[in-house]
Amino acid sequence: MNPAEVRVRLADAATALAGRVLDALRGAGAVGLVDYMDACPDEATALGAVRLLGADLFAPQLVADRLLDAREAAVVAESFGTYPPVIGASSEEQRVAAWRDWAAVRLLALFYGPEPDAAGVAPPDNAAAVLGRVEQWPLWSAAVARLSPLALPEVGGPVVAAVVAEPLALTRGASRAVLRRDYPTAARLARWTALLAHLGVELPLDPAPLVEHVRLRVGAEPRLLLDLAVARLLLGSEAV
Amino acid sequence: MTGSSVARIAHDLSTAALDWLHANRERGAFPADTGADLGDPDSAYKPLGETALAASLVLREGAAGSAQLRTARELVDFTWQQMREGALLYERQLRYPLLTDPLETYAHFARSGHRHDELEELLTHCAAVGSMVEVVPNRRLAVANAHRTVGVGADDWPSLTRATWLGQTPPPWAIDWMTGYSVTHTVFHLTDWGARPDGLPADMTAYVTDWLPVWIDIWSEVGQWDLVGELLIVGVCLPRPRLDAAEWARLAALQHADGMVPRDGEPVTGSPDQRFLNHQHTTVVATVAGTLALSRLLNGAA
Repeated sequence: MNPAEVRVRLADAATALAGRVLDALRGAGAVGLVDYMDACPDEATALGAVRLLGADLFAPQLVADRLLDAREAAVVAESFGTYPPVIGASSEEQRVAAWRDWAAVRLLALFYGPEPDAAGVAPPDNAAAVLGRVEQWPLWSAAVARLSPLALPEVGGPVVAAVVAEPLALTRGASRAVLRRDYPTAARLARWTALLAHLGVELPLDPAPLVEHVRLRVGAEPRLLLDLAVARLLLGSEAV
Repeated sequence: MTGSSVARIAHDLSTAALDWLHANRERGAFPADTGADLGDPDSAYKPLGETALAASLVLREGAAGSAQLRTARELVDFTWQQMREGALLYERQLRYPLLTDPLETYAHFARSGHRHDELEELLTHCAAVGSMVEVVPNRRLAVANAHRTVGVGADDWPSLTRATWLGQTPPPWAIDWMTGYSVTHTVFHLTDWGARPDGLPADMTAYVTDWLPVWIDIWSEVGQWDLVGELLIVGVCLPRPRLDAAEWARLAALQHADGMVPRDGEPVTGSPDQRFLNHQHTTVVATVAGTLALSRLLNGAA
């Protein structure tokens, strides 16, 4: 396979896995990560998809009380064994990947590690390095959107703290995305607004109609529906 | 950039825009046989009123140099002559007592010292009768502000304010282009074009302060410069004015060498008359924006 074919396969596998997570959030049972691995003909691609979903694999556990079992956690650990977390990021894309990896490894260590590995869960950088200056809120919020897997309870850390501290910049970015009809970005930022509301942060707008407005327009892409399902569960909606 | 750089941008923007309105004023004149019926009120009547508004605010603020004040006075006098020194407005109000445009137009002249006693008597009576055509809520505020400026009638400002889109403070992402203009005009009238910043209720002030950067950003991206100019005026009208140097520089960079400011991102084409027709409103907006920004900066509000 050439690199382009690899990327397509990986993206398809990640979309399928996101669909499983979405189903779990909607009450269809567990993610079934072991079944997913067994059903996938190409283990390397499947592990790559697990690695891409990262922290989102823990979403059913964190917002819908549907626990990953130990064997599923082992699959997540194996994905990071096969594809080690990004360390020493030098580009914007790598910095985003490093933070997403960090969130997944942190959750894995938090819930399933015998002892959290201090080196493995140390934040990759300071939040400003990946988010930029909050005064430049359109760029700042775009970076926040790319880090939407971190918008989960228990993730914490410098990026979440930085976003929690800037509800106005966050909601400006979300409003901008809606008005530009950039619904993928809007969905990711809507998830962040829901997290802040869940954490008790006072927001300058009501996140519930924002989430619903985006949900009605975002289409059928499972990873975006996953963002919105997380958002609705964080806001206490019964049906997602 | 600093406040002084915004002041320089605002001064240059409004000076050149006012000069363009003055140089092209005859293009906006009424046809020779214009009566109180007007036919199409939007063709010359409305633009003449807008030019009178801009010039009246230059005179009210007094922040411009003597040459600009003279230009503004000439423009007010020119438009007043076009209104046959108020007679056209009087005849139109007499003939159509429910219309609000004679009052709204007259307010710009009353602000500049041109009065018409018979018209004011008539406007007082109309206000007492309290019967006017139905208008959208922000336009109703325009009537209230005109009443206040002329000194007739008494309006229920709180209920009129809450009837507007802005008065409801809806989700900031649930706005469209036309509603953007409803927001700008609500602020213009509540604050009497920046003269009464505290006329905007505190919750609405906070709301506008929070979301104005978003609206300026998204309508700048699509080159809706007329609306962006009005939103910059909104920023100037706030109790703590928003005077972002980058936003002002972006609008100023669009101004043509002759002072005209284009309404949108489309190419500027056509005859001089067509250019006036298409871009007079935005050039009025630029005049008002620069004038009010400079005034508030000089008065130490920003």
